[in-house]
Amino acid sequence: MNANLKETILNPIFKGNPITVLVLGICSSLAVTVEMKGALVMALSVTIVTGLSSFVLSLLRNTIPNRVRIIVQLVVVALMVILVDQVLKAYAYGIDKQLSVYIGLIITNCIVMGRIEAFALGNKPIPSLLDGLANGVGYGLILIVVSFFRELFGSGTLFGLRIIPESFYAAGYMNNGLVILPPMALILIGCIIWIQRGIQKDLQEK
Amino acid sequence: MNTNGNAYTVIYSTIIVVLVAAILAYASMALKPKQDANAKAETISQMLTAAQFYSKEECSSMGNDKVLEAYSKNIKSAFAINAQGQKIRDLSTDVNKIELIDNLKAQDNNIRGKKDVELPVYIFTKDGKDVTVVPCYGAGLWGPIWGYLAFSQDDKTFVGAYFDHASETPGLGAKIKDDPSFRAEFVGKAADYNASPIFSIVKGGAPKDQQNAIDAITGATMTSKGLSAAIDTWLAAYKPYLSNNGSAPAMTSAQPADTTAAPADTADIK
Repeated sequence: MNANLKETILNPIFKGNPITVLVLGICSSLAVTVEMKGALVMALSVTIVTGLSSFVLSLLRNTIPNRVRIIVQLVVVALMVILVDQVLKAYAYGIDKQLSVYIGLIITNCIVMGRIEAFALGNKPIPSLLDGLANGVGYGLILIVVSFFRELFGSGTLFGLRIIPESFYAAGYMNNGLVILPPMALILIGCIIWIQRGIQKDLQEK
Repeated sequence: MNTNGNAYTVIYSTIIVVLVAAILAYASMALKPKQDANAKAETISQMLTAAQFYSKEECSSMGNDKVLEAYSKNIKSAFAINAQGQKIRDLSTDVNKIELIDNLKAQDNNIRGKKDVELPVYIFTKDGKDVTVVPCYGAGLWGPIWGYLAFSQDDKTFVGAYFDHASETPGLGAKIKDDPSFRAEFVGKAADYNASPIFSIVKGGAPKDQQNAIDAITGATMTSKGLSAAIDTWLAAYKPYLSNNGSAPAMTSAQPADTTAAPADTADIK
């Protein structure tokens, strides 16, 4: 059981990462990775939402009528997302504004529904909670890595702090405008998937 | 228990929905005062940024209370005008009950629909001079864009501007907010209330000698166009008030300097 739990927690972070292996949640990872601060808050929000929704739906799993299963899931996920959005609006207004519509769009993030369908409805509440949290962390990890490169090369800053000194700009260095745009995030994620498949041979198709 | 029966499904769904609605209603009510305070401080800090009292970063690090204090300290008068440029009522500037008109969307509809409007005018005192701040609102590429224009009371040249948006493209349209050099283009320019458009943002670069135009943002044609239209529409709505140099009938007596016409206006009258 203990080994199982450990597997539940560790698997989504690397071996079964929701972005690089399951290729879920790509849309939001392209949108919110321009700056690390936004990516971090998004990662936290998704982690909380996946964790809590998995937990609640796992508690309800034996009572949910099968025919309205997806709708009940959506209602619970939407509840969590709106709560996160409201709390951010009250306590982290600037970041909420920056993430704007993407917080609301966590509802449609495939990772949330995917983990509920695949795991929470068939497992006990505590493992479901951990599975949800771990998947959020796995998602967040990729977000942080991608946003690190995008903010560094796109704006010359990290978490809003200047990293590339002004003297570089004076000497003719320029921020890479392409890195700011979503296509570059896709290319970066592609590179991460490439590296991961190089390490994990079992992911390679014959 | 049969969880697949019709009655069970209907009752279950009803209970879940009512329960969720109750939780959300409670959360919304509990957090509302805090959210409103944030929104108000945000609006005020946008004005303070436009009038170049502080940078936006300074405002966000100051915290809500300090922002309200800074507003209260620097403002001279705030009031609402109607479509004819007449003052309708004063807006309270007391730090404990600061009154703003921030339903810009509704006002924008009224301006476009030629209905009754209630437009805010905020007059700040900066370095002994009066700086007027007025809002603008319009449609960008993906959603609404809005902002505040600050100009000196004497000659109507812009001293600054601040814009915000709901969902413009990061790195492109979002530059209206994020790129200080775009906002800096406004400084020293002035709207020409006898021209059409009153003020414009020109794709491909504004002519160097044109006073009422600035360069658009590369790669953000639609946002630039939208912002140009927003500024033009709103300044046109303020035209009766501004082209009289703020001599709205019920004005406070503290504006003697305003009787001299703006240079652009005199030139056109001749």
